[in-house]
Amino acid sequence: MRHGQYRFIVGFLVLPLALYAIFVISPFVQAFYYSLTNWTGVSPQFDFVGLQNFQTLTQDSLFLRAVRNNLVLLVGMPLAVILLALFYAFLLNVGGAGSGVGVRGVRGSGFYKLAFFLPQVLSVPVIAVIWAVILDPTPTGLVNSAMRRVGFGGSGWLADPNLALYCVLWVLVWGSVGFYLVLFNAAMSSIPRDIYEAALIDGAGRVATFFRVTIPLLWDTIQTSWVYLAILALDVYALVAVMTPGPGGPANATQVISLQIAQNGFQFGRAGYASAMGVVLFFFTLIIAAIMLRATRRQRIEY
Amino acid sequence: MAVTTRTGDAGQPTTAPPRRPGDGRRTGRAGDVGVNVFSHVVLVGWSVMVLVPFAWALLASVKTSGEIFGSPWSLPEVFQWSNFARAWDKGVGQYLLNSVIVVTGGVVLTMLLGSMAAYVLARYRFPGNRLVYYLFAAGMMFPVFLAIVPLFFVVQNLGMLSTYQGLILVYVAYSLPFTVFFMHAFFKTLPTSVAEAAFMDGCSHAGVFFRVMLPMAKPGLLSIGIFNVIGQFNQFVLPQFLSPEKPVLAQGIATLLASQRYEGDWGALFAALTIAMVPVVVVYLLFYRQVQAGLTSGTLK
Amino acid sequence: MGTPNQYSRRLFLQRAVLVSVAAAGGGSLLTGCASGGGGGTESGGGETSAENPFGVQADAPLDVVIFKGGYGDDYAKFHEELYKKKFPNAEIKHAGITDIRQQLQPRFNSGNPPDVIDNSGAEQLPLATLADTGQLADLTPLFDAESIDGGKIRDTLNPVAIEAGDYGGKILVLNYALEVYGLWYDKTLFDQKGWQPAETWDDFLTLAEEIKGDGIAPMAHQGKYPYYIQQVTMDMAVKHGGVEVVKAIDSLEPNAWKHPSVKMAAEALLEIKSKGYMLQGTEGLDHIQSQTRWNEHKAAFIPSGSWLENEQKKVAPEDFATTVAPTPLMDGSKLPFQSTRVSAAEAFIVPAKAKNVPGGQEYLRIMLSKEGASKFTELTAAPTVVTGAGEGLDLTPAAASASELVKAGGDNNWNYYFFVWYSPMRPKIETAFGELAAGRVTADEFCAACQKAADETAKDPQTKKRTRS
Repeated sequence: MRHGQYRFIVGFLVLPLALYAIFVISPFVQAFYYSLTNWTGVSPQFDFVGLQNFQTLTQDSLFLRAVRNNLVLLVGMPLAVILLALFYAFLLNVGGAGSGVGVRGVRGSGFYKLAFFLPQVLSVPVIAVIWAVILDPTPTGLVNSAMRRVGFGGSGWLADPNLALYCVLWVLVWGSVGFYLVLFNAAMSSIPRDIYEAALIDGAGRVATFFRVTIPLLWDTIQTSWVYLAILALDVYALVAVMTPGPGGPANATQVISLQIAQNGFQFGRAGYASAMGVVLFFFTLIIAAIMLRATRRQRIEY
Repeated sequence: MAVTTRTGDAGQPTTAPPRRPGDGRRTGRAGDVGVNVFSHVVLVGWSVMVLVPFAWALLASVKTSGEIFGSPWSLPEVFQWSNFARAWDKGVGQYLLNSVIVVTGGVVLTMLLGSMAAYVLARYRFPGNRLVYYLFAAGMMFPVFLAIVPLFFVVQNLGMLSTYQGLILVYVAYSLPFTVFFMHAFFKTLPTSVAEAAFMDGCSHAGVFFRVMLPMAKPGLLSIGIFNVIGQFNQFVLPQFLSPEKPVLAQGIATLLASQRYEGDWGALFAALTIAMVPVVVVYLLFYRQVQAGLTSGTLK
Repeated sequence: MGTPNQYSRRLFLQRAVLVSVAAAGGGSLLTGCASGGGGGTESGGGETSAENPFGVQADAPLDVVIFKGGYGDDYAKFHEELYKKKFPNAEIKHAGITDIRQQLQPRFNSGNPPDVIDNSGAEQLPLATLADTGQLADLTPLFDAESIDGGKIRDTLNPVAIEAGDYGGKILVLNYALEVYGLWYDKTLFDQKGWQPAETWDDFLTLAEEIKGDGIAPMAHQGKYPYYIQQVTMDMAVKHGGVEVVKAIDSLEPNAWKHPSVKMAAEALLEIKSKGYMLQGTEGLDHIQSQTRWNEHKAAFIPSGSWLENEQKKVAPEDFATTVAPTPLMDGSKLPFQSTRVSAAEAFIVPAKAKNVPGGQEYLRIMLSKEGASKFTELTAAPTVVTGAGEGLDLTPAAASASELVKAGGDNNWNYYFFVWYSPMRPKIETAFGELAAGRVTADEFCAACQKAADETAKDPQTKKRTRS
């Protein structure tokens, strides 16, 4: 039995691990190594320069700007998405005119979930192109002309350095809320009904039940979502690269680390320097994830 | 544990526990109606915000460039169906096919390998278990950009640049961390009693996994399956650098945008977007029913 | 290819042990063996002769990659036909693409680049890096070779072609298209309204007021890409202070951006913005969007280069006469009104590791023939660096006015190179110009921001400083 068990373990792990080692771990380790060189990326020769790249990074005004913007997205996006998704999930649950609790849809909840989820199936460049055109800064742009009809002035949107980053944030949130709504909803439906029954017998109302029963039971899902969203916010390359002028926005308002890596690694012929940025991004992500998992750790609720 | 099956429209569970009269109804009808109206207003508001840009893009695909920017809210004078012909000439069909092939292969393989690894890591004790798990989990913290150049050389040395199999394998490798992480948590929560019973019946380890555990993990598989379909379909960075000669859809759209910046043919660009969106959305509408059913049925306790 | 291959093999074998080759040493080694002349390159193999100065092997395939942007790639197909005529057995592979870097970088890295590349557009390969790491074949032999029409090629070209292709004493790039920059307007509209492009700044402001009164915005620019507005601003600064202004900037000299002429030009731009002479929302438009509005007479002037007419061909109304005007002179300008920035662009390169370097050089020699160059002008309405190649052609309004301006400017025309030489500095400078054009910074803040970017670049250990005297 035991012998068979080890054979089984090895058999099940060997393929995934091999793929992972070849395509993820090995390039990753190589990248750490390249970050210590002045490799251009367009020639097979390079010199070892030690930590010089990291020194240059600390004085690179563009990179520091990118870090700042990334932090804004990193804080704003997961927070906005999870709060909105929970709020909508709550509405879907308590808004129903029918009796009972748990996943009680309002009428048409199927349609709402369908609509909310839609942006998820569109590829990022598609979304980027659509929003870039909708937010056209001229008076005839879709949003601007709508605002004018309502009596507001137009705005520069992605062309306005004060707004551009928030436009990116908005598009990120716009695209993600639906998925998390469906995910939270699915998680709610896996909560056993007798827990709700018990809560009801105790005389708890819908709102109280939601906060005292549903949310704690969803905690695992929320935590996973949080980490996933944070990683998404750190790697917004496609959206920014396609949507914002430059790319990088007016006055580098939407400059992000991944864009800097792409620019330096490919446009400027500084693959070594770009790898150093990648290493910084890596540690950045590591720290963020550790903080989040620690901050949101709670007792697992067994049911 | 009990498996309750629900109808797709979030209706009553088929095995509703007996209800005692008079419990659980704290508010009167009036409160309900207020809450109900408020909910609908908010939910409709967000739906509009999601659907209008999407619908507007569809409409823009039959307008001229001048109409798209000149009169964004009006219907086109003449429906410019020729936009589609021009978009198709620019290779959108091929991009779509490339995407479908790669994502299909990628997701199937990701699900299989990911669940296998996650299952072993979640339910078997062996030396190095934690190490392997953390190795996978660390992959989630991993900016793809860090590795893109070395990765290019790896793929090249395998002779897999701009090939379906190359992209599929890379997609799988980069989807594994989150899949393993997610499924690991899921397998941990599955009850042991069923598996033990199956072992008693003389099932092998693999038999238990494929016949008992995988079916039980269906909701988890579906959630992560959606994650992966979306993630791989939207993948832009990996193919951009690893498959320049066989562009997938996301790349194709970006390339078209780049080229129309010189051609100024916005109508054709939106036609291309439409060609890119409509099949996916149709598939989504069909697939979504199953997702709903999958997520809400066979729920485990 | 002997040496480069040994190089990459050795490098491959010794990956773990770091081989460090001084870029200059490795570079000269690579270019030394790859340059034409038929001496010792296996890829040559053909006999050299007056007809075939680089010793092209008649049946060697030729791999051409063209940036398919504003100029399209029809002209290249014509050049390929000429090549085919000369070497009927050579198989030519042609690709017209916009994402040059994405598609070619892998090929450079794997030592398998094409033979001829038109490295242009937003997604171009880092030219200075390629030059400094010995990735480009030395084209000096090409410039010294006999032209197909007779005479040394070097002598048949506008001098800016030599200057722009020069990297550390070697000519590594053939910049083929002559680009003339300025303020563009529709002559038909101006004639109809009785307007004239203004020569002095004061007259320009008067004209702008009149245009604005007519319900047209005096000026639009491609705000998403501040490069364009940067162009006219620098133009005015150079005309005011002389070419030394940009030579100092190109050489990354301290305080080069704080030159009074630069500040004055910045203030002029701010004045246009503050007086409401800019098209509303132009800051957020890309070039096609803004140029289309200009074609629709929503704006009178727009900054651009001589590719503009061709780029807008599909959009421009029938009677639209795209015409260039020099930028107006601020008080105390050193250079005459009829002078402008003339650059050589569309960077054609032959990679050092190309399989058919002689073929690549021969292809460029064909491009530089009168026949090849005049066809380019005919198809794109843009002049080339080949002097007089456009003569006798029935030129479009844009090409005609641009050629005239080049002639009128003569030795007073200038060019600058900081964008090509220091690519990491480019986004920082463009950002500063974008902020200035939007009126969000003062002239002093703008100069300081540009200077900061220049100082950062000068301090950067991985940037090769270049100087112009």
